[in-house]
Amino acid sequence: MSDTIDLLEAIGRDASLRHASTEELTNMLEQAQASKALTSAAAHGDSSLLFAELGHIPMQAPQITQSPCHEEEEPAPDADDEPDNLPAPDPGKSSI
Amino acid sequence: MKTPPLLPPNDARRGNLACVGMGMTLGSHLTPLARSHIEQADVVFAALSDGIVQMWLQRMHADVRSLQPYYQVGKSRMQTYRQWVDLMMTEVRAGKRVCGVFYGHPGIFAWSPHKAIEVARAEGFEAHMEPGISAEDCLYADLGIDPGRFGCQHFEASQLLFYQRRIDPTGYLVLWQVGLVGDRSLTRFETGPAYRQVLVDLLSHDYPLDHEVIIYRGATLPIEKPRIRRVALRDLPDIPLTTEETVVLPPAEALKPNLAIQERLKALDKLDKADAFA
Ligand SMILES: C[S@@+](CC[C@H](N)C(=O)[O-])C[C@H]1O[C@@H](n2cnc3c(N)ncnc32)[C@H](O)[C@@H]1O
Repeated sequence: MSDTIDLLEAIGRDASLRHASTEELTNMLEQAQASKALTSAAAHGDSSLLFAELGHIPMQAPQITQSPCHEEEEPAPDADDEPDNLPAPDPGKSSI
Repeated sequence: MKTPPLLPPNDARRGNLACVGMGMTLGSHLTPLARSHIEQADVVFAALSDGIVQMWLQRMHADVRSLQPYYQVGKSRMQTYRQWVDLMMTEVRAGKRVCGVFYGHPGIFAWSPHKAIEVARAEGFEAHMEPGISAEDCLYADLGIDPGRFGCQHFEASQLLFYQRRIDPTGYLVLWQVGLVGDRSLTRFETGPAYRQVLVDLLSHDYPLDHEVIIYRGATLPIEKPRIRRVALRDLPDIPLTTEETVVLPPAEALKPNLAIQERLKALDKLDKADAFA
């Protein structure tokens, strides 16, 4: 079975694959012996189907730039917020 | 005669910092220069929006440290971003070549890369930002919008609520982080319909409620298509929206000619012509 991340990179960098029709892409993936998860994710245009193979790492997108409560003078983080105390991301939580 | 030392007095290797963009789509957008920063770094910190893109990054370097676990519901994001700066700076001060990798463009609607570079430079370290392809760039391509056609304003949606800003409905209006609009606590990762209703009420001063609004999500994996939803402004509160989406309001009014200035320019043209013939 081919490596899924390598295949994704190959699709991302190839002009004919990146904009191929779903059918062409699915055929190519089958020929390249892609995993079932990748083939069905491509066939359905649903990347959440890849979680079955790669696991689900929920990610947060925000990075604030401004708001009345986020001024530069805000005090430094408390000692009890040290990274060691932080729980690992919850793999079951849905990504936003 | 004294032989000068071959090495400068403080020959300890200086740390440095590069904040680079990963672009939006896996495999498609990472620039050769950003990739080189990643490969040549001693340590890589990552703030990406897609877990699979993070796995791809991990292929490029053996020591990729995700900044994601520092986010926590109930904890101020500002505190999280300060920690990110501290984490990167601790390694820079230890003499490491540090690369901070951020999705999209590292300097667009992103506080910590700018801050980390500022702190590093203030302490005498070399620090660079390398641009990346942002959600904004993808939006122009996928929605067929040229920001120069009618002009284009960009706001973090919350800023529009917190501050008195002047919206120009003759140009495009691009709103970022609508999914958590109005969050004054900085501790939440989404706000609900009631908060978006406040945004809609504000926008309704400049736009009719049936004005078309585009909700856009660009592809982060190359097997995805962009998601483009068009809804009426009045429906924005009730549409499920993630923090990964950007909202675009196309112009609602035609450009208004500035006749006074045009007259002034006409007069100048006349003078110019007269001078040319003189
Ligand atoms: C803090 S900004 C970071 C932007 C990023 N630095 C960039 O260059 O695109 C987060 C906001 O970017 C926008 N965004 C993030 N991912 C996106 C995507 N895949 N498609 C469209 N907009 C996105 C959303 O408005 C989101 O709330």
